[in-house]
Amino acid sequence: MIWQQVQSLAGSYPLALRGLGMTVVLSLISLVLGTLLGFGLGILRTGGNRLISAAIGAWVDLIRGTPFLVQIFLIFFILPELGIELDAFTAGIIALTNLAACFICEIVAAGIRSVPTGQVEAALASGLSRSQRMRQVVLPQAMRIVLPPLVGQYVLLIKDSSVVSAIGLTDLTRVGWLVVQRVPNGLLVFFLVGLGYFIVCYPLIMLARRLEQRMGAAHGEVQL
Amino acid sequence: MTKTGMIDFRGVNKWFGALNVLRDITLSVEPREVVVVCGPSGSGKSTLIRCINGLETIRDGDLVVDGQRLGDPATNMTRLRTEIGFVFQSFNLYPHKTALENVTLAPIHVRKIPRAEAEQAGRELLAKVGLADKVDAYPAQLSGGQQQRVAIARCLGMRPKIMLFDEPTSALDPEMISEVLDVMVAVAEEGMTMMVVTHEMGFARKVAQRVVFMDAGAIVESGTPDEFFSHPKTDRSRAFLSKILRH
Repeated sequence: MIWQQVQSLAGSYPLALRGLGMTVVLSLISLVLGTLLGFGLGILRTGGNRLISAAIGAWVDLIRGTPFLVQIFLIFFILPELGIELDAFTAGIIALTNLAACFICEIVAAGIRSVPTGQVEAALASGLSRSQRMRQVVLPQAMRIVLPPLVGQYVLLIKDSSVVSAIGLTDLTRVGWLVVQRVPNGLLVFFLVGLGYFIVCYPLIMLARRLEQRMGAAHGEVQL
Repeated sequence: MTKTGMIDFRGVNKWFGALNVLRDITLSVEPREVVVVCGPSGSGKSTLIRCINGLETIRDGDLVVDGQRLGDPATNMTRLRTEIGFVFQSFNLYPHKTALENVTLAPIHVRKIPRAEAEQAGRELLAKVGLADKVDAYPAQLSGGQQQRVAIARCLGMRPKIMLFDEPTSALDPEMISEVLDVMVAVAEEGMTMMVVTHEMGFARKVAQRVVFMDAGAIVESGTPDEFFSHPKTDRSRAFLSKILRH
């Protein structure tokens, strides 16, 4: 019985690989875009303009305070009403990028705020422009604080990507739903689905742990 | 506008909330002049020099630095700051950069000096402050006195017209104070325009043309070091001197 199911599952491996591929591609694109956007938002959040900072803060709170499933439905079903046609993949990328950007924004902002005022004053006093201060002085120091939680956040976001199966994207989770209809052993199928996520996430978990140890070392210099 | 000193305060006032931290300051510093500012803590002396490079803004009055009026839309503050070196009490070296990188950062990115040339100049400056063997050290690997000397070299790397020092030796262990003061004396003797907030009276006697005594945000007394230390004119300055010269 079990043996037959395993054999039947083995036949589904091309589908499983496609699902894993979709999860990886979706996560990779969203995390890259979300990181770029998140850093931009984090820098603006801590910048001098109060209105921009408050607007970003409100948006971040809204996104962090609502379920991702609801966000993805809103994007997928509401935007077409406004005349913006979206396929599921694009909707998934937008939703996941937005979620990533909001969490990363807060991590980056906290990192920037952790840099002592004296550092900014020293950079100001030597005539560095705003962008030079950011690039040369503030961000390299903020990265020490930012990196470990950033990588940890990546893990959470990869797992959150499973929600895109709800709008019909054939990611790893949806492959699980499809396969379980043919092979009625949910325990086995979803054990394998979970294993798929774990294989993607585990290296990141290890990386986050190593970064944390390195950053924790007293006054250790971090070469980026 | 009449041609005036390198740094010109005219009727400058500043408040922190309800607190009047600078009261009607009028003070002119000539080119190549060294002015020591002293006074009890909270008297506004740090605020005074932080206004000069715009780390603090003034409420009213005029502050003209190197011919440019601060707060004037025509004044490019970032440009003006490149002409003003500022040495902090807590050094504020960039911890992720080596001594040499600390010194060359602004010359390379702000002055647009080619890297090789900036590094050559940076090495010479570090040698000048006695740290030729520390060019590749990170701030955390240096003593306080060494860090402060790197910070001075970092300012000199921009070839400023003015150097401001905000209690440069207050955070140092006693045995490191003289190595920093020696460097400051050398800078003064090269004809730098300097304002130095310090209680190092030996330094003041040696290189300052003028000592300015502040209390409660106002300039109470101003004179040559000799006049000030030997014949203080006000009760407040006498009380202050008796405290710092007691031991």
